[in-house]
Amino acid sequence: MATEIKLPRLGQGMEAGTIVRWLKSEGDEVAKGEPLFELDTDKVTQEVEADAAGVLLKIVVPEGEASVGTTVALIGAADEEVSEFVAGAQGGNGDARAAARPVEDPPAENAALSADEQSEAGDGAPKGTRPQEQKAPSAAAPGAAAVEPPAAPSPVRAGCERVKASPLARRIARERGLDIAALTGTGPEGRIIAEDVEHASDGAVSGPPAAAPDDGGSIEIVELTSVRRTIARRLTEAWAAPVFQLSVTADASALSATREHMVELLREGETKPTVSDVLTRLVASALQRHPAVNALFVDGKIHRYGRVNVGIAVATANGLVVPVIRAADRESVLGIAAIRADLVSRAREGKLKLADLEDGTFTISNLGMYGIEQFIAVLNPPQVAILAVGSIADRPAAVDGSLEIRPTLTMTITCDHRAIDGSEGAEFLQTVKSLVESPALAL
Amino acid sequence: MPELTYREAVRDALSRALREDDNVFLMGEDIAEMGGSMAVTQGLLDEFGPKRIRNTPISEMAIVGSGIGAAIQGMRPVVEIMYEDFLTLSMEQLVNQAAKHRTMSGGQVKVPLTIRTQGGAGWSPGAQHAQQLEAWFVHVPGLKVVFASTPEDVRGLLWSAIYDDNPVVFFEHRTLYPLKGEVPEELEPIPLGKARIHRAGEDVTVVATGRLVHDALQAAETAEGEGISVEVVDPRTLLPLDEETIVASVKKTNRCVTAHEAVVRGGFGAELAAVIQHAAFDWLDAPIERVGSKFAPLPFAPVMEQYVVPQVEDVLDAIRRTVARA
Repeated sequence: MATEIKLPRLGQGMEAGTIVRWLKSEGDEVAKGEPLFELDTDKVTQEVEADAAGVLLKIVVPEGEASVGTTVALIGAADEEVSEFVAGAQGGNGDARAAARPVEDPPAENAALSADEQSEAGDGAPKGTRPQEQKAPSAAAPGAAAVEPPAAPSPVRAGCERVKASPLARRIARERGLDIAALTGTGPEGRIIAEDVEHASDGAVSGPPAAAPDDGGSIEIVELTSVRRTIARRLTEAWAAPVFQLSVTADASALSATREHMVELLREGETKPTVSDVLTRLVASALQRHPAVNALFVDGKIHRYGRVNVGIAVATANGLVVPVIRAADRESVLGIAAIRADLVSRAREGKLKLADLEDGTFTISNLGMYGIEQFIAVLNPPQVAILAVGSIADRPAAVDGSLEIRPTLTMTITCDHRAIDGSEGAEFLQTVKSLVESPALAL
Repeated sequence: MPELTYREAVRDALSRALREDDNVFLMGEDIAEMGGSMAVTQGLLDEFGPKRIRNTPISEMAIVGSGIGAAIQGMRPVVEIMYEDFLTLSMEQLVNQAAKHRTMSGGQVKVPLTIRTQGGAGWSPGAQHAQQLEAWFVHVPGLKVVFASTPEDVRGLLWSAIYDDNPVVFFEHRTLYPLKGEVPEELEPIPLGKARIHRAGEDVTVVATGRLVHDALQAAETAEGEGISVEVVDPRTLLPLDEETIVASVKKTNRCVTAHEAVVRGGFGAELAAVIQHAAFDWLDAPIERVGSKFAPLPFAPVMEQYVVPQVEDVLDAIRRTVARA
């Protein structure tokens, strides 16, 4: 009896994932626990291990998006007959490819949208045939789609059933990320042909030139990765929050000295702590003392957390990720350094697991290493605050009535005003400043 | 380069093979003294004698059957079926014997037999002397099928057919026999399975066979005047088919018309359309148009015949449909 391999839920709130690559081919022997495929969720790309041993009999979902729980493969004995099994598996889950539809893009909504657009476009047309043709399916689509969504692995294909377009036109539209349903066809019976897509593409801001560009320039079109899409969506969401910023400048000489002492005392095998690591530890202590800042704003309620899980913003080739150092208030600086080093290296290799990215209660973004003096970070919702850390550098400072050159750093907190008031933010920042200037107070 | 008619080009390939190779001989109805009903084999009896230019009784089954026997015994016979309509009478020998021996014997037996035949309308031959049945044979594994459209091609392809170790059904078109064309001084064999691009174009590919190659070229001229750039490709060998050349052409032009004189339904154009849509689906910007005869037994009356059989204008209309706008 073959085992159905289902798309796993890697974390809370995960509805779907994209199978990026199969690490095994049909017919390969698979041991239990062996990596089977790479799964891209909106947070992370992770290798999924086989939870059964045997022969990979059938890959049901070769590549692309699928919902959690969809049967993606069958593992069993080498000579096992799986065709019936596959039919059954697909029947049970709904068509695997139907399930592969992006979650944010429900078929009914999509169908209604494109049909509306079509009928609008057709209003001015002298003959009524086309709008009518387009309208007919719009009435049937929402109901039909709810029961059995049409197989459509990509949004572009969602309109296929209703829009007349040549295969070439569809391909060009797909390659250029144009919605074929939004185009007007000039071919026989209103069919969208390649030239129509070329024209639309000419006009589109994002589209590349239809013909070979004669200006010699070229536009690179970058498809959004799953991670990038998430960044775009979440940070756009973040703008909905009413935020305010507060800045403070601290004397960093004690912070630097503490770090230097730690480095001097470093033993074989320990990770050298960075300024950020010390700062993470100090901020964690401050957060423990200011639970109003160590909070999430969820569904109109403030969730204040006893534990302090600090997310650190890490730039990777695939985009920004924010792995989390859990219980940072209970870790030593060296402990934080070790965890941070592991997280950052795995982040850069794209090997973070979903668990590495979950449960953050606060975020620190440090651009000091780029020489940025100070900046404003965008909130990382649902967290209610994020700290932007600038560079430590020698700067003129007034000390006891005289001008001195001191190493200073400027920190700016962005607060969600729905959860935090100015005074709460200010008190937190005051604590951070005093801890930076006297790290021993964090003990 | 010398100029030969299509008829002379066929004769030239035959006489060169007969001259160079004692294993080559011809059989057919009235091919000796009379020189064949289409005068293709005229003069060959004088040069090669009655042992090698052999008249046969009126039995297509016997003609093909004895050809198979001779081929199995090591000869390279070229047999003539006077009209391809009469291939029907030799089907058992062709389909069940010639096509099967090589594989059924595990390769111990080869059948290097060439079956020359001709057909085609345009001269009021009526319903039983002008059919274009090439598609039937493309359906039979074990055969090769050639349909040449120019003097140069017919000479080079016939040579390759004679020297192919498989049975080759070699179609000639009745109305092309007087067609003149330049041919190389020396006979250059044309490999089976290689298409020929007669004319390069950008907007639509016409894949044409036999007489329709010339109609397609004429239609392409007219289309050019309308701003439509037409590529004309002749597969020349229908089996095996040069899919690579045809698909590459359609991927370039994004549109395709198939054209042959045989009836459209179940014609070779259907096979072409299937191959093209599968290999170049994402490159097609219009439905593939098929041009061929209307589905009717060929009428005798010239005006009716002209109505049933595709003309230049039919190819042109199909070309225009592929580039049509609403």
